[in-house]
Amino acid sequence: MPQLKTMKEFNLETGKIGEEIARKYLEKKGYKIIEQNYKTKYGEIDLVAQKGKELVIVEVRTKIGDLYGTPEESLTKKKLKKLWLNTVAYVNKNKWQKDYRVDAVCIILRPNKEVDRLEHYENII
Amino acid sequence: MLVKVKSAANIGLEMVEVDVEVNVASRGLPAFDIVGLPDKAVAESRERVKTAVQSSKIEFPNKRITVNLAPADIPKEGSYYDLPIATGIICAETGCQVPEKSLFFGELSLDGSLRHTKGAFLLALFAKEHGFKNIFVPKDSANEAAIIQGINVYPVESLTQLLKHFSGRELIVADTRCPQDYLADNGCPQAEFDMAEILGQEQTKRAIEIAAAGGHNILMTGSPGTGKTMLARALPGILPLLGEAESLEATKIYSAAGQIPPGASLIRIPPFRSPHHSASLAGLIGGGQRPLPGEISLAHRGVLFLDEFNEFPRHVLEALRQPLEDGYLTISRSRERVKYPARFMLVASVNPCPCGYLNHPKKQCLCHPRLIRKYQRRVSGPILDRIDLHIDVPPVDLKELSENQKASEFLEPSEIIRQRVFLARQKQRERFLGDSIFTNAEMKNSHIKKYCKLSKEVEQILQQASQKFQLSARAYLKIIKVSRTIADLQGAPEIEVSHIAEALQYRPKTEENI
Repeated sequence: MPQLKTMKEFNLETGKIGEEIARKYLEKKGYKIIEQNYKTKYGEIDLVAQKGKELVIVEVRTKIGDLYGTPEESLTKKKLKKLWLNTVAYVNKNKWQKDYRVDAVCIILRPNKEVDRLEHYENII
Repeated sequence: MLVKVKSAANIGLEMVEVDVEVNVASRGLPAFDIVGLPDKAVAESRERVKTAVQSSKIEFPNKRITVNLAPADIPKEGSYYDLPIATGIICAETGCQVPEKSLFFGELSLDGSLRHTKGAFLLALFAKEHGFKNIFVPKDSANEAAIIQGINVYPVESLTQLLKHFSGRELIVADTRCPQDYLADNGCPQAEFDMAEILGQEQTKRAIEIAAAGGHNILMTGSPGTGKTMLARALPGILPLLGEAESLEATKIYSAAGQIPPGASLIRIPPFRSPHHSASLAGLIGGGQRPLPGEISLAHRGVLFLDEFNEFPRHVLEALRQPLEDGYLTISRSRERVKYPARFMLVASVNPCPCGYLNHPKKQCLCHPRLIRKYQRRVSGPILDRIDLHIDVPPVDLKELSENQKASEFLEPSEIIRQRVFLARQKQRERFLGDSIFTNAEMKNSHIKKYCKLSKEVEQILQQASQKFQLSARAYLKIIKVSRTIADLQGAPEIEVSHIAEALQYRPKTEENI
């Protein structure tokens, strides 16, 4: 009997797919990806990129369909706070002296894992 | 895109203009924020607006929406900002123009329809005073608002209808009825009892008729079961409908308190309020962090019936002093000061002693004299001094009652008494035209000087009486007022000796008996 995927595994997989899509999208836009899945003591940063002199911390949110809420809605106050803590932790650890900002990439996938909608929000905090 | 929609904030009986600024930004993470000191109900309007817009088959913008309620330093409360916020969002999205000189007001339901919202009448008044042309209010509240002439009142049923109105596809018809239409609607005051149902008690009925005719306060003292409460409950049946000016005053308070039922308009029937004696201070005279009108303001231009008067907490009764005299009261709280009118007719009933049978012709009172004094002292002298008519309600003889049962058809029904009261009130209204008072009970010293000319003979009797009974200056004037009412009931142009004599009967008998 084949092992069925749990919801957790399934969502993790969706997230991975989303992150790959976001990475490719940003690279195409001229961002240089420095880190992927960088771990701090508060959690994980999906993508750390650089564009020009600015450091960009990117949070990727992926959903399959928007029946259970949009990816934008899943960025709650609490999540944003955590994201900010992660950002500060990264900046301090790596002694970044110049400008930095936090972006979000929200992706909605079709059931066959193709991109339905991709939105890039700059400077969300 | 920034859209400005006008609305108003309700503070007491006043309104303050509020600009609802809605910005739908094209950049930024989608969000929906309301700033400008919103309270819980206003903050929750986010969810209502969002769902209502979606239910109306309008795409809710997946953008950063910021709503500012300006001026930002006045606390905003209530649910009526739903409509202006939704209007702002819809106009920003569809590019429709918000009509100029218009106020928006109303609570949204999740299905996109509008719910009855308190304060529509006050909004209409405010709109007229400040030169607004149109107001958009929920359909259920439009009747209230349409009383005010000179503005267009648009009864809005749903957001879809409003959008159609903006785009010109289907216009909402403004509610245009004239005040005469409302005044013509003569609903009859309904009382629990008819005066004809109450047997005996002729003297008490007479006193109540005088009180009703002049708007005087009345205190009934009597043993249990003598019919004090029944008489008071029959009182609404003999009160004539309110005049136009009085109706507007009462409607203002009821609108602010949210006591006007959906679809109703002017309050024509005099209010009759009978709070239980467990009433709190804030409940009776008004109050709260954001002061709301209390029972005495809701009884404005009507009757406040306090059954078991001395069972009310002392501090609650003492708070009645100032409004009884002035006809209004100012509630001061750290955040707000609000003035509410409270010109009511106080009807109170008490037992003479704890057991209730003091001065009873047949039963014996078993109370200790000290207990009686203590019981009677629960109502203070200053309060009693403000009551114009004091009347003892004697027990009714059961034998007499059954004999009278046959005679009950000869008793006067409320309808006939109301005619007399109406005529007396009409006289007072004509007399006080331009004085901004309506009844004899409201007369100030200057009015008494002007309208109650006393002949030498009458003055002499009054002097004698005031010396004999040691009347206070207030009591002296009260007697003149009551005599004026008695004269009005009789149709006499001047106060005569017989009128004064009757009025004197309604003073508290002796100091001890108070």
